[in-house]
Amino acid sequence: MSVKQQSILVIGESNVGKTHYGAQLLKRLIVGDCALRMAGAASNLKPFEKAMDSLAEGMATEHTPATTYVESVWPIADASGRSGSLIWPDYGGEQVRNLIAQRKVPGQWRDRVLSATDWVLLIRLHTIRSTDDMFSRPIATLGKANAEEAHHQVSDQSKLIELLQMLLYVAGLDRDARRNTPSLTVLLTCWDELGVKGNPQEVMREQLPMLFSFIDSTWREPAVFGLSALEKPLSQNDPDQEYAIRGPEQFGFVILADGTRIEDITVPIQRLLADEDVV
Amino acid sequence: MDSCPHCNCFAPDTTCALGNMELSQCPEWKGAAPEVTTLDTEKDDILLPWTGSALGLTDLSFVTGRAKPIIVGIAGPESAGKTTLLASWYLLLARSLLTDKAWQFGGSFSLEGWEAVASALRWAPGQPPSFPPHTSSRGARAPGLLHVAFRQENEQLRDFLFADAPGEWFQRWAIDANAEDAEGARWIAQHADVLLLAADRQALSGSRLGAARNAFQLLATRVAAERRGRPVALVWTKADVSIAPEMEERIRQAVTSVMPDAAEFSVSIFPEGTGNTGVGFQELFRWILGTRRPSVQLPSAAPSGNDPLFVFGRR
Repeated sequence: MSVKQQSILVIGESNVGKTHYGAQLLKRLIVGDCALRMAGAASNLKPFEKAMDSLAEGMATEHTPATTYVESVWPIADASGRSGSLIWPDYGGEQVRNLIAQRKVPGQWRDRVLSATDWVLLIRLHTIRSTDDMFSRPIATLGKANAEEAHHQVSDQSKLIELLQMLLYVAGLDRDARRNTPSLTVLLTCWDELGVKGNPQEVMREQLPMLFSFIDSTWREPAVFGLSALEKPLSQNDPDQEYAIRGPEQFGFVILADGTRIEDITVPIQRLLADEDVV
Repeated sequence: MDSCPHCNCFAPDTTCALGNMELSQCPEWKGAAPEVTTLDTEKDDILLPWTGSALGLTDLSFVTGRAKPIIVGIAGPESAGKTTLLASWYLLLARSLLTDKAWQFGGSFSLEGWEAVASALRWAPGQPPSFPPHTSSRGARAPGLLHVAFRQENEQLRDFLFADAPGEWFQRWAIDANAEDAEGARWIAQHADVLLLAADRQALSGSRLGAARNAFQLLATRVAAERRGRPVALVWTKADVSIAPEMEERIRQAVTSVMPDAAEFSVSIFPEGTGNTGVGFQELFRWILGTRRPSVQLPSAAPSGNDPLFVFGRR
């Protein structure tokens, strides 16, 4: 069996939980009672060292510096013997925000996009603003037109669509047919703070309808999962006793497409390894 | 670095258009010897071929490259609600209410342009929705084009461009087809695949209703003369405003007498009852999606014998 190399492009703005997920994923891989486990030792754990230390004590980790971009390579294997190496990045989310704001893609980002086999888009629905409009909240009479062009805010939904369009363009992918590769996995992070029931696809369709249509019409089989890497909010300086005693690997869950909750947060990534083998 | 002053030459980026191997020997070349370029990390940035704002003629080729998009032109006098129509479509699109599963939103290269158009109809903190600001003409040669793509059930992606044109263009164009400041209206008349004629019910029932009727009749005649068989729809905007039945009949007649196949729609942003999609926007948009460009009819070739190899032989 050939060893697959899964290079994951994690796409997410600041504060969506990239580092927390990375650290929790790594912890599970090392402890090794999940669908995916570490087969050997990771080349470099440094990027997640701090986050893992903080979580072990039950504290949230600090914000990743804006300019940081580090990749670590993890040799992984799943229960059915499929193995591969996972390239997982950690970076400051401002870089993604800058891509959108400055409308240009740095050369390093192009290389990352080109080498990625799978894209994982992290969205924290709690921080997405949705504004009411004339149709969702009608009024009887419209106000007078503003003479000077008022400053308008671009909706978060269209920002995310633009981001994906930019990355698709940079990766040199055409729009003609639905895409199989690179695969797209959407993780709705911090699921615990949403307080919703139901399957993640429906939740996303409801909250980000246009983005959902775009993803559904651009990828053949986009996957949407709900993810809570920490299971409960942690503070940066006040340790959580339960965490410290039971260990961070006992926390976190994933909501599958059918709405069932499982504790194994490696499943969304394990799926990518399995998918690749089928092709 | 200096570039070559010759209009067709892009030296030193390319070789000399006049064929001189050494730039210094070219009579046109005035620049210094090209420096050795160093790879700067900043220069490594990739710029995108679209800006997100409404497309102009220069960046249009990025969209038109894959196939000719369907261009929808909305003709109508000033403040007839042309921009509101576009804004309403975008707001419905943002909530996935505009189209059904058969036409799935497949991206847009002018998202910021759409957002700018739609922002007036959104609730901002402490500010209720208002009419979109007047679309200014600035004497442009072509309207700003808003792009949107839809993927059909058969996986095909179709691009649509909506022209956001100021009303003055059409008013002048209706009176003089060759008017100097109606260049943009001519552009739409020449390139649009679908034409919408906006009839402003508010103006047609207001204090200057006679002038409004006259202007509309002129515009309808002009559109009829220029349409070359393309689909046209009469769109009653501000459908919540009632107008005299006689007036309604006159306007309809102005369109149907010269374009008997014209479709007719009514739109309003004020919902009827408890609906949250306004009135008529979805129906009009689906009609646009359903329009087709006239296709080429190939003459049928009758076989002249039984031998399949010589089916198309001479008679």
